[in-house]
Formats: sequence, structure tokens, C-alpha cells
Amino acid sequence: MPIGDLRQLLADQSLTFLAGIPYVYHCHHYNLFHDQTIDDALGEAEGARVRTTAAHNAFRELLGAVFAAAGATTPAERISLATEVFSWMGQGRMSLDITAAGGRARSPSLHYGFAWREKYGARVKRDEPTDAVAAGFAAATTELAFDLAADAVTAVEQRCLATRDPECEFTLTPGNGHLSRPAIDQATVVRYVASPVRGVDEDRIAAIAAGLLEFMRGVQGDERGLVAAFNVFVTAHLPAYYNETVYEAIHHIERTAAGGVPAAEALMREAGQVCVFNTFGNVLLSPEWEGLVGAPTGVATDVMSFSTAIARGLGFGHWLVNEYEPRKRLVLQATSNYEVPFYRARYGVAKKPRSYFVQGAALAMMLLAETVQWTERPQLTNAYYIELFRGKPRYRVEQTRCMMRGDTTSEYVVDAL
Amino acid sequence: MDRYIEQAVAEIPQLIGIFVTAMPDSLLFSSWVRDGTSWSAEDVAAYFGDLVRANREGLKALGSWSSEMQVTIESAESLVVLRELSSDFVAGCVFERSAPLGMVRLHLKRLLERVSHVLPKIQAEDRPRGLRIMEFLDRYAPDPHAVTLRVSLRAGISLDELRMPASLTADQVQRLEDTACKILGVKQLSL
Repeated sequence: MPIGDLRQLLADQSLTFLAGIPYVYHCHHYNLFHDQTIDDALGEAEGARVRTTAAHNAFRELLGAVFAAAGATTPAERISLATEVFSWMGQGRMSLDITAAGGRARSPSLHYGFAWREKYGARVKRDEPTDAVAAGFAAATTELAFDLAADAVTAVEQRCLATRDPECEFTLTPGNGHLSRPAIDQATVVRYVASPVRGVDEDRIAAIAAGLLEFMRGVQGDERGLVAAFNVFVTAHLPAYYNETVYEAIHHIERTAAGGVPAAEALMREAGQVCVFNTFGNVLLSPEWEGLVGAPTGVATDVMSFSTAIARGLGFGHWLVNEYEPRKRLVLQATSNYEVPFYRARYGVAKKPRSYFVQGAALAMMLLAETVQWTERPQLTNAYYIELFRGKPRYRVEQTRCMMRGDTTSEYVVDAL
Repeated sequence: MDRYIEQAVAEIPQLIGIFVTAMPDSLLFSSWVRDGTSWSAEDVAAYFGDLVRANREGLKALGSWSSEMQVTIESAESLVVLRELSSDFVAGCVFERSAPLGMVRLHLKRLLERVSHVLPKIQAEDRPRGLRIMEFLDRYAPDPHAVTLRVSLRAGISLDELRMPASLTADQVQRLEDTACKILGVKQLSL
């Protein structure tokens, strides 16, 4: 069965699923910044542990569902299918040499290690491996291939492209085992979405989002298991990974070093900015976008509508523009996003708004709509990012409603300062 | 100073740019770059200042350093010459690659004599280490837009305190330095 056939779409909420497990698209700029923030919050050792555990849990959910849907029953069948899925997602191509007792895994091209070396390798010498996601994947695959309990296997990356090794290598050894938690699947997700609402320019946004969703159906890993598209490396990724790492990290900071919460939350918002600038921006400048929508107009209201459509097209949920007054105010709402179901199912009702990613994204959408000269087709470089987002802030964002907190919808208000 | 440099370079058609950096912090002091050049002096000055510093320390370790030291880099596109003007200033001159080396040396001698003549005498300021570390991070950290937040989180120093790095305590400066080394992937900072 082709992997693409396992995809499902909750169309009115712009949420995407693979074998019933949510997935979204994020680029390497966001992925690297996200992981860096987790390590900033927790330190390298604990950060790597939390990231590996989250990936392990997320891939157990996904692969378990994929194996069931595809009817894969033997170890060889499951290992083959798992590596195919991983590569299809743009996470890299892995070779697994494993038994029920563990084994080894390796890859010359993992998304995180490869992209880290591309982006930072010339500037920073790194000592720690980057590929917690691949480690979690390898452990989950081994367990599920041999019908082992959750966390029966532990994976540790011993060599990494990011630390200048020629390829990434992992050892898989028996773990301690722990109780698995219920998967955050489509049935769970639909409990935490609100009825979709029409926003400003709704018909155009919905049409473009549908076109982009269709386009993304053709996106899959190349011979390296990587997806190079829109001038970035793209991954189909598991919200469970992002959510578990973010919320475990922020809860840890709140418990142990409350003074660090503002910086941690600001970095998590910054990750949203990084995503919108790099992914949304490069999508807007791509030939594929021009084919789908037309050449950039540079009109702020267009950019705002297009950005909202891109969010939907990447599976981020039903974002909508409730109000937009260029250079003054944006009220972005969402009746669903990929953070809410995880938080509510795993932690219950939040005491305060916690959609950090969308908070940062809303702020960035405001800046992109009004500052970037789209018709001049600028290069979206790191230097340009710094120019846009550094210095005296021009806008502030406040999340005024949050479905994690029990509100009926989520709302993000960006005001000019 | 910038205007003076503009006058001094007017007779050197193969000169692409000149930048004068103040040591020891490699901060750009003055510069001129030919119209239509894709890079800016701000982008490159700090790197070459550090190169001169590393060169100076390396030569000292070899016991062969002298104040007349000059670094010449011949790349595919350009010819770069770095020269210590004094203990306080370093000049970097970028020429077209086709410029004959003999002419470059001749122009350089005349140009740097004129530039040296108008450089001020600097009383080295003992600037707080916390401030210098933050400036260093600002120049070299991979995500400079986020570096203050990252340092705050990693070092356990509040954002308000980091906005006044000159006022950090000795313990905070040490944590700041350890964090900077971690972020930059180096064992020590060459400040």
C-alpha cells in the first residue's frame, strides 16, 4: 500500500493525519530552532533525553497505526515499512540492523544532522548529536517490529553528521520499559476542535489552502530521504513530538526555575516567527506558489490571506483572519490547531494561554505582510530575518483566548506599538 | 575619518574596500567600500580583526612576532592585506585579484601612512567583561536575534539583568562566559 494512501484530511479544520495520527509540515529552520530551545531550557543531556523520549512516543503512535492499517505483521515487513515511512516524511533514510535484543542503526542523511551541518556547521563546532528524532524512531521501530513493550528499547546516537562524522550511527539496547499512554489520534483530536468559522477573505483562503494541501500530497523524501522544497528542507512531522518537548520543557522551567519562564516562552514564540519567515516566506516566493496563486502582489491584505492559507495547507489547523487593519491590528483566530488536542488530552485544562507557536506566527505574519517587498523577490536570509525581527519591536502579540484554557476558540491579537 | 579615507583611496582604482578596526574588540572604526560591492565593511571587519589577533598570538607563541606584521590572503576573487597600524588599530584592504602585488604594496604603504596619520590615540578602556561577552555573542552567535533569550535561559540570568551586562556580578559573568562558550562551541572566548 502506498504511504500516501494512509493520509486523511479533516478538511473543515485543515488537519492532516497519517493512519489516523496527526502530522504537519515544518522546515529545518523551525525544527533546529525548536530543538535548540528545548536544550536551552533543559540543558544538553536532559534536553536530548526529553526529545528522544518524545520522538519515541510519537513514532510508537504513528508506526503502530501504520502497521495496523497496512497489515504489516512480520518484523521484516514492519522494519521495511517503518524506514519507508521515515524517508517519505523527509526525516532521512535509515538502515536498521536490529533484533529483539537491540542492534544498530545508521544513516548518511538524517534531516536534523544534515540540516544542522548545512545551516550552522561553518560557524559552530558541535559536540552533541542532533538526531533525537531518529533515535526515537529507531527505538520505536525495534519495539514494534518485535512486539516489545513500550520503552523496551533505548536508542543512543553515537556518531552524527552535525559533529562532523561521515554518517549518523545509533546503538539500540534493552530499556527499562514504561507504561504507554493513549495515542493522540484523530478521534482524540476531534474532541478538541470548535465548529469552523468563516473569516475575512474566507473563500479565497479556503480555495488556496485546498490547492496547497493537494500540492503537498506529492511531496515526499528523495533518494536521501530528504525533502528539499521551497528553498528549505521540509519534513512531515509529528505534532506529538513538538508538543511533548515544548510542554515538558516549559512545565519543568515553571517548576524549577520560574524566573526563566519569560525567556523560555519568548523563545517558543520566536520559533513561530522562524517558521513563518522561512517556510511561509519561501512558499510565497516559490514557482509552485506562483503556479497555484499567481505572482506576488505585495499587497498587505493579500499576504495576510496567503499566510493564513499556507498555515491551513501545512496542516496547522483552521486559522482565520477575524480582523486586519494594515500596520495597526491583526486578530487571528483558530478553531483548531495542532497544539490544543495534545495539551488537553495529556495535561488537562491550562491555567493560561499556551499556544506559543501561533503567537509567534501571528506576529511574524503581521511583519511579513507589511515590511517585506514581495514584488522584489528578496532572499529570505538569516541576515534579513535579523533585520526584520531585531531592534525596537513594532508590534506586540497577546493571546486573548485559548482552547487549552477551555475557551471556545483561540485568538491572537497583534497590535502596533 | 570616513571622509578622509574616501579622499585617500581616490587614486587607487583597484581597491575594493578598506576597513579600520579598533582592537582588542574588533569593532569597526572607519571604512570605505567601492560602490556596487556586495559585502559591507560591517560584515567582514570583525572576522579579520580576529584573524589578526590570532595571527599575532600565534607568532608570539613562535617567538617571531613583530609590530610590522602583515597578513596577505590571495583568494580567487580578491587580494586581502591586513596590517596592524598600531596596538589599537588594524587595517584591512581588499584589492581586485588582478592587481599586481608590487603595485598593491606601493599603494598600501602610501595609503596606510595617510590613514595612520589621522588615527586618534586611544586610551584603552577597561570595559566590563560581561559587556564584552555580550558584544562578542552579538557578533558570532549563530542566532544573534535570540541570543539574549538563550543566554538568560541557560545561565539563569534574568533578561533585565542581561540588558545591563556591565552590572553583572562576578558569578553571573562566569556563568555568562560558560554559556557563551557552549553556544559558540569553543573552549574559551578570545576577548
